[in-house]
Amino acid sequence: MKKPFKLLIIDDAEEILNALTNFFTKKKYDVVSASNGLEGLKHIEAEDAAFDLIITDLVLPSISGVAIISIAKKKFPDTPVIAITGWGEHPESLAKEAHADHVLEKPFKLPELEQLVIKLLADE
Amino acid sequence: MSNHSKSKTGPPIVGVSKNMERVRELIEHVAHTGLNTVVFGESGVGKEVVAQNLYQKSPRFGKPFIKINCAALPEGLLESELFGYERGAFTGAEQKKKGKFQLAHSGVLLLDEIGDMSLPLQAKLLHVLQSGGGFSPLGSEKEVQTDTWVIAATNHDLKKAIDEGKFREDLYYRLNIIKIHVSPLRERPEDIPLLIDFYTKEYAAMLNDRHIEKPSAQVIDRLCVYSWPGNVRELQNVLKRMLVLGDSNQIVDELLNGERTSSPTSEATNGPNQQVSLTQIIDLDGKNSPDNQSFSLKSAKKEAVEMVEREIISHVLAKTDWNRSKAAKILKISYKTLLYKISDLNIIPPEK
Repeated sequence: MKKPFKLLIIDDAEEILNALTNFFTKKKYDVVSASNGLEGLKHIEAEDAAFDLIITDLVLPSISGVAIISIAKKKFPDTPVIAITGWGEHPESLAKEAHADHVLEKPFKLPELEQLVIKLLADE
Repeated sequence: MSNHSKSKTGPPIVGVSKNMERVRELIEHVAHTGLNTVVFGESGVGKEVVAQNLYQKSPRFGKPFIKINCAALPEGLLESELFGYERGAFTGAEQKKKGKFQLAHSGVLLLDEIGDMSLPLQAKLLHVLQSGGGFSPLGSEKEVQTDTWVIAATNHDLKKAIDEGKFREDLYYRLNIIKIHVSPLRERPEDIPLLIDFYTKEYAAMLNDRHIEKPSAQVIDRLCVYSWPGNVRELQNVLKRMLVLGDSNQIVDELLNGERTSSPTSEATNGPNQQVSLTQIIDLDGKNSPDNQSFSLKSAKKEAVEMVEREIISHVLAKTDWNRSKAAKILKISYKTLLYKISDLNIIPPEK
């Protein structure tokens, strides 16, 4: 059997994090979830960090999603990152500058996000 | 804050509170990134210490660490300090001057009190950050390219400032890639004994290790219940006073008593007893008598207003341990207005 894709999902809104985690776990992905930027960053910095894709909220306390994208892209330039945002334009343009592969605006439908994940993983 | 001449290393992050542990952890994880950072916290909590620690743990350590206070300078001067100017750029620009942005190249630029920066300068700063550190000094057509890690510090609630139209939202998001919050000392009293220990040793070393008596356990306990409106800076001043004057108990008495009498509830109850007639205050029977040639309603009123202002401002300054930005906030006047009033009303700081 093929090894499942490993995802890192970072969001400080508990219900969204749970929904995303449950959804992708059911779809047979190997999901690591983090409820804030620092926790997410620790996963990225961990020695066994071998994520196939990262999904992060942009507005997070302390370490923002933009920081996560910049750090992740520096360490793993080939790992796709999807930024999700419910805020105005500014963080969105910052996410693109930090080379997020896609910025998805809330609200979105879970299958929509999954299609995006499948597409980015296929491009990789 | 201490000024070591041989090295630029500042004090470490002292404390065992959750907040201090979190701050240390964040510094460990982000110091290498060079991403724009904002340090939030009340005056005197040690925002600059956090910035220095970020710098010391970063690959930029050893390169310049330049600090500029955005509240202390008028807009035009701040702009020329930040970005520099060419000879002849304006009257008085007799020779070319490099701006702090350029001086901090390859190192760190700490923009203290960023919340007080004017909107036009915020626009210029945003532009520089957007372009990755490029700008033209005043009067110059040549663009300078800098690689500067910008760390900003503020005691303002920038979200609120955005709502009030005083701070640009786009600049907020651009600076706020990393956010570090330093709690006021009253919310982490468990750090007080460690801070006392740390600074007592430091001051002892500064005084050539002259024998210095550490505050007693009883004094430390009492210092832990004080609310420290001026935060760590106030604690440092109190410790210095104790080390110099030696009478720790009396100094703590004064601190705690001052707090009790200046709290609004006790003022309300003391009020009626302390009432002095306005005639006496304005000295209507003496130098401000209407019988005097110089008397006019306008001048008497002006004097009365000044008296009231002087009294209130002195009171608030004493309460905040002469922390002017905090006093300005309490008084709900701008920092600049407060500085003006202090000099205009001739309010003199207590001797340190």
